[in-house]
Amino acid sequence: MDADARRALAERVLARSRADAMEAIVSSDHRALTRFTHEFIHQNVDIENVAIRVRAIVDGRTGVASTNASDDGALDAVVKRATEIAAFAPRRTEPPLLATYAAVTAPAAAYVDATANATPEERALVAGAIFDQAATNGCWCSGYVTTSTGGVTIVTTSGADASFDGTECGANVKMTAGDSTGFAERYSTDVRVLDGYLLGSRAVRKAQRSAHPISVDPGDWTVILEPAAFGELVHFLGDHFSAQAYDEGSSFLSGRLGERVMGAGVTIRDDYAHARHPDAPFDWEGNPKQRLALIEDGVARTIVTDSEWAGKLGRPNTGHGLPAPNAYGPYPLDLVVDPGTASLDELIASTKRGLLVTRLWYVRIVDQRKTILTGMTRDGTFLIENGAIVSGVRNLRFNQSLVDALGACTFSNDQQRTGGYSYALVAPAVKFERFNFASTTDY
Amino acid sequence: MDFSAHAERVLDTALARGAAYADVRFERSRSERIEVRNGDVAGLSDTHSGGFGLRALVDGAWGFAACALFDDASLDAAAGRAVAMARAGASASRQRIGTIPLEAFVDQYVTPCERDPASVPLGERVALLLDAERALHSAATIAVGRAWLDLWRTDKEFYSSSGSRIAQTIYQSGGAISALAVGDGDSQVRMWPGDRGMYFGGGWEVLELAELRENAARIGEEAHQLLSAPQCPSGTMDVILGGSQVSLQIHESCGHAAELDRIMGWEANFSGTSFLDPSERGKLHYGSPIVNIEIDNTMPRGFATVGYDDEGTKSVRADVIRDGILVGFESSRDTAHLIGSASTSCVRAESWEHVPMIRMCNLNLRPGDVPFEHLFDDVRDGVYMEANRSWSIDDRRLNFQFGTQIGWEIKHGKRGRMLKNPTYGGITPVFWNSCDAIGDAASWFEWGTPNCGKGEPMQTGRTTQAAAPARFRNVAVGVGYGR
Repeated sequence: MDADARRALAERVLARSRADAMEAIVSSDHRALTRFTHEFIHQNVDIENVAIRVRAIVDGRTGVASTNASDDGALDAVVKRATEIAAFAPRRTEPPLLATYAAVTAPAAAYVDATANATPEERALVAGAIFDQAATNGCWCSGYVTTSTGGVTIVTTSGADASFDGTECGANVKMTAGDSTGFAERYSTDVRVLDGYLLGSRAVRKAQRSAHPISVDPGDWTVILEPAAFGELVHFLGDHFSAQAYDEGSSFLSGRLGERVMGAGVTIRDDYAHARHPDAPFDWEGNPKQRLALIEDGVARTIVTDSEWAGKLGRPNTGHGLPAPNAYGPYPLDLVVDPGTASLDELIASTKRGLLVTRLWYVRIVDQRKTILTGMTRDGTFLIENGAIVSGVRNLRFNQSLVDALGACTFSNDQQRTGGYSYALVAPAVKFERFNFASTTDY
Repeated sequence: MDFSAHAERVLDTALARGAAYADVRFERSRSERIEVRNGDVAGLSDTHSGGFGLRALVDGAWGFAACALFDDASLDAAAGRAVAMARAGASASRQRIGTIPLEAFVDQYVTPCERDPASVPLGERVALLLDAERALHSAATIAVGRAWLDLWRTDKEFYSSSGSRIAQTIYQSGGAISALAVGDGDSQVRMWPGDRGMYFGGGWEVLELAELRENAARIGEEAHQLLSAPQCPSGTMDVILGGSQVSLQIHESCGHAAELDRIMGWEANFSGTSFLDPSERGKLHYGSPIVNIEIDNTMPRGFATVGYDDEGTKSVRADVIRDGILVGFESSRDTAHLIGSASTSCVRAESWEHVPMIRMCNLNLRPGDVPFEHLFDDVRDGVYMEANRSWSIDDRRLNFQFGTQIGWEIKHGKRGRMLKNPTYGGITPVFWNSCDAIGDAASWFEWGTPNCGKGEPMQTGRTTQAAAPARFRNVAVGVGYGR
């Protein structure tokens, strides 16, 4: 469904409104996934859906109802339900404000026809090239190839009319070789960059190079995290930049704007227009997103807001609202960590003794306010001695304050989009001078 | 609902286009969520969704297509897409997996429901949460009070080309309260009931059983007290886990480990594999002899209880760990076939648009024979921990580290002062073999989890791990704050 069709559907919703104000969000998507293991495809999925979300405001009260049916009866019913809920709901402390018209421009290359038109045969070809690498090198592989198209249109009775269409694609592969594993991933808006041979051979090299892993002692290590691993940590910073968390005191930034909170050279942005992750130029309330430096050279610069929290805190609306009803507050969906100047090879070469980590797993918060995270290494962990990789290493568990680690770190000069299905952000590799590993495994 | 004509068309089309077998689920779901936050109704939503998901088997490979439209053209197109997906998969695959069911069921199932949530006025629902949330603010340090409830109703019809025709109506309900205390550069959270709330199969009676209003002031006060409580010590000592934390321990270190798709590498690139191997059935000492863990997808109040799973297998009970020995797995038809076994009815899809896959359903630790208060009796030096706050386990389900919201010192058999930031860690079979006492039936409860994640794209599963409090010896404590 294109933007015109979504807009027409949204207008059919608003035409039924008897509320003081109304917002209609129409989202359409077509997602396909080819997932494989042991060189066969065990999940091959193709899904189409159109969802309609209606927010009604009556006397300062809000109700939200959703449906995925678009016949007249379903639209009558969803508008009626939203309005009835709004008429009943208690009045909020901050009166809800719907977005008004604002001109926005989608970032370049957010939508690529080749991705939108990708076929199951094309995805199978990428997977087949990965299978070839596994078979040729005595490994087995698991992973996926995915392509999707998504669009959203937000129209309000206050005049907002915003539409965005984007494509996404990606492939990842875990390669298993006896007692070791390796990993490679690639995400883009353009399916033509997915190269099964390249991904498969990279994962094979990782697996082969980490064969017969040795045990190392837990404790404080110099560690280099490749982008897939570093992204797993950065993802957990998102909540801390929320105006809600900032105000309520659960963010490490609470009361610290303007202070140095990380090392010089650490700049973290929210940027919907980054070339590696072009995203919608407006938020889920239909307000324009601002491109923000949240941490600049280690100094806490700002937090993200939505219409409610901008009003509560007397700050500008940065355009980081989530779909109503939203009890979680605003959120930065397009995090970017700025690169440094050294290549990944140079970061390794400058390390006297340390660990190189390909990927992390099951990262969870141990202590929110202190940003202590725990998790495991996986799929390619290596010992570095005197500037060179000397061995694979058995996996380790870490317990580390991320903000403390970012107090002394260096970034690589290239950035990658990472996160797969779980999130999307752009990050370089990072070298932490001090990173605490708490325990080990026997694999 | 009666989708039989649609089913006939879409299945016939799939078979005509080359499928050896096909099945289809038609679903209509309604989910209602209300959330109160610091006195405001922060969320009040009512979501309806409907559509169908079709599986087609071609040359030993599966294709899946889902669509929200029910007109003839959409049915035909979905059948074509599912077959095309399967055919493309078969062309690249170097193995064949799909099995065709021999059994066919014509049946229906409805979740027992004492009070249909639809009969509860919206005002009564909101009032419950507003009252409970207000009571959480029993101390000035409570920065955030939250109270929420979820009500789900799913009507589904399953049809297969083998002749199955199964209609089900599933009711699931639950809710919780949570208090966040902030002070002196620290924040501490407490939730009730347990750490995820009270969730199971049923109607409004679940919310009544949860006693949110009755416990709110205590939960707020505990969050406040945690700010000034001493830090949980580090060292090797005995641990007693509250029932909801044992439930989490089962979930992470048994439930996911025993999923047969993980064991076979089907989730290897994301959710991971398992330290288990089918050849260890009947041999592996997973836990001490008092540890008995079973699948029960028929149990009353089970969050995952249904009549039939999402590939049309009738719900069953099956042992996974018997007297401490590994004896079975959570399986689907395809995976069970590969080890010469029968499906344990553990296939679920989050909704009509999700592909069915193996999910942890109801997986329970059978109660022991020790009254809760006697678990403490011969603990000389230990910690009693309640309500999960942090959870992490490696991608083979061996090395785990969990933290809880609250703990209490145990000295010479007596529960003492409150402790904050309790954490513990271990290796799965070592830990379960250190279990030397399990609470009795009076302390056993059906703890439900509304947000179990697995698969790509991630699917959210609803699962129960019923458990009683239990005692574990010589556990590494304080590991999360170890530096």
